[in-house]
Amino acid sequence: MEAFLQHLLNGLLLGGTYALLGIGLTLIFGLMNVVNFAHGEFYTLGAYLTFAAASLLRVNFVLAIAVAILGGSLLGALCERVLLRPLRGESIDTTMLVMIGLWIATQNGELLAWGGVAKSIPHPFPTAPIVIGPVSVAPLRLFVLAAVLVLIAGSHVLIHRTRLGVAMRATFQDRETAALMGIDVGGIHTLTFAFGSGLAAAAGALLGPIFLVYPSMGDLAALKAFSVVILGGLGNFAGATLGGVILGIAEELGAGYVSSGYRDAVGFVIIILVLLVRPSGLFARAGRVG
Amino acid sequence: MLTLESVSAGYGRVEALRGVSLGVRRGELVCLLGANGAGKTTTLKTISGLVQARSGRIVFDGEEIHGLDAPEIVRRGIAHCPEGRRVFPFLTVEENLRIGAWTRRGAEIAADMDRVYASFPILSERRRQPAGTLSGGEQQMLAIGRALMSRPRLILFDEPSLGLAPTAVEITFGIIKEIRETGTTVLMVEQNAYGALRMADRAYVMEAGRITLDGAARDLLHDAHVKQAYLGG
Repeated sequence: MEAFLQHLLNGLLLGGTYALLGIGLTLIFGLMNVVNFAHGEFYTLGAYLTFAAASLLRVNFVLAIAVAILGGSLLGALCERVLLRPLRGESIDTTMLVMIGLWIATQNGELLAWGGVAKSIPHPFPTAPIVIGPVSVAPLRLFVLAAVLVLIAGSHVLIHRTRLGVAMRATFQDRETAALMGIDVGGIHTLTFAFGSGLAAAAGALLGPIFLVYPSMGDLAALKAFSVVILGGLGNFAGATLGGVILGIAEELGAGYVSSGYRDAVGFVIIILVLLVRPSGLFARAGRVG
Repeated sequence: MLTLESVSAGYGRVEALRGVSLGVRRGELVCLLGANGAGKTTTLKTISGLVQARSGRIVFDGEEIHGLDAPEIVRRGIAHCPEGRRVFPFLTVEENLRIGAWTRRGAEIAADMDRVYASFPILSERRRQPAGTLSGGEQQMLAIGRALMSRPRLILFDEPSLGLAPTAVEITFGIIKEIRETGTTVLMVEQNAYGALRMADRAYVMEAGRITLDGAARDLLHDAHVKQAYLGG
C-alpha cells in the first residue's frame, strides 16, 4: 500500500507534465488543424532556457522557469507568424511536413549550440525528501507538482472563463462565423500557438531540473504528448488533462510493479488498447473542441 | 447607405458575381431573390468581407469598404447573420451573445444583452445551455440576437427562414420587421420569395451572378416573370 501511494504521487507529477504537453498539442490541433511535430522541441527549448538562465546567468530558479515559459511562447508566436500563417488554407500534410522540418532543424540547432553532453539544472531545493505519512517526496518534486497544478488551473480559467477563451473556443467551432463577429482569427491562431508552445516549454522547464537536459529529450516528450491527445480525444482540453494524468500514473505503476524498463511500453500499450476500443479517445464527444 | 458598383467576385476560377450593382437606402428593407447558385450568398459575403471583390466598389456610409477584412467591417456597423444560423454549438447562449459584442467594450453591453433577453425570453431561460441544444427556431433567435449585439446600422440576413418550422418562420419574419421598424437597415436573401416580398420595400432579382430585375417589392409580387420563376406560377 505504501509503495502504491508512492507510485501514485510520482505518477501524478509525471502525468501533470504530460497534461501540460498534451493540452498545448491538442489546442493547436483543434484550432489550427496543424499536427505539430515540433511540439517536443518547445519542451527541449524550455529546459535549455531554464538551464541558461539558472546556470549561466545565475537567475533565481523560479524566475528562470518563467523566462523559459515566456521564451517558448514568444518563439511559438514567431513560428506561427513566419511558418504557418503563409500556409493557411494549405492541406494538413503540408503543415505537418513543415513542422517535421522545424523539429529536425531545431533539434540539430540545440546540438550545435549546447553540444551533445547532457546538462543538469541547478536548483535551490534541499535534496533530503520530505516524509508525509507513508510517502516521501523531494521538495523539488513537490514544487514541480504545485507549479503544474497552477498552470493547468490557469489554462482552464483562460479557456473557459475569459473573453479571450470564449473567442478561442468560438474560433475552434466556426472560423468563418468567428470572423463575422469581429474576431481577428489570425491573431487567435498566433496566441493559441504561443500558448501551446509556452505550456510545452513549461513542462520542459519543470522536468529539466528533475532529469537531465539534452538535445533529443523532446522526442520522447512529443510521443507522450501525442499519446495524451489520442487518449483524451483530439481538441479536447479536459480530455488532455485527464489523459495526461492517466498516462503518468499508468507508467509509474507499470514501472513499479512490472519493471522500470517497461515504463514507456506501458503507456503505449494503453494507447494501442484505446485506439482499438475507442478510436476517438476516452473522453471524446462528437465534434467537441475546447 | 450601402452601394455596390459593378462588383465582381468569385472562388478560384469560378466567377460568382459578374458586375453586381445595387443600393440600399437608410431604413429600408431590401430583399435579394434568385435561384440557388445565382450569387446571393456571395453578394452578402462580399459585403461583409468574407469574400474579397475582384473589381468594383462597395461604399457604406460614404466610405469605401471593399478590401477591408470581416472584423473591420463589423466595426463599421454591418452585421451578417449567416445562412444556417451558425451559432457556436458548444458555447452557451450567453457566450454566443457575448461574442456578438466582441468589437465593443463597456457597460452598455450588459444592457444590450438584457434587451435581447427581453425580446427573446426563451433565450434568457436557456442562457447557460450550449447553443447546439436549442431548436432551429431558437437558434435563429440567438443568431439574430447575436448579430444585434454588435449594434449594427445594417444587418445582412442570409436565408433566415431556411429549415425552420412554419410557426418559427412567422416569428423570424416578425422579428426582422421589428428590427427594421427600430431603425436598422436590412438587406435580406430569402428563398421564401412570397414572404420576403410582402415585407420588403424593394427587391433585386439575381441570375447567374448578375442583377436581372429590380423594383418595388409590391410591383415584383405581381411581375409575370417573378411569379413564374420564384412564386410558383
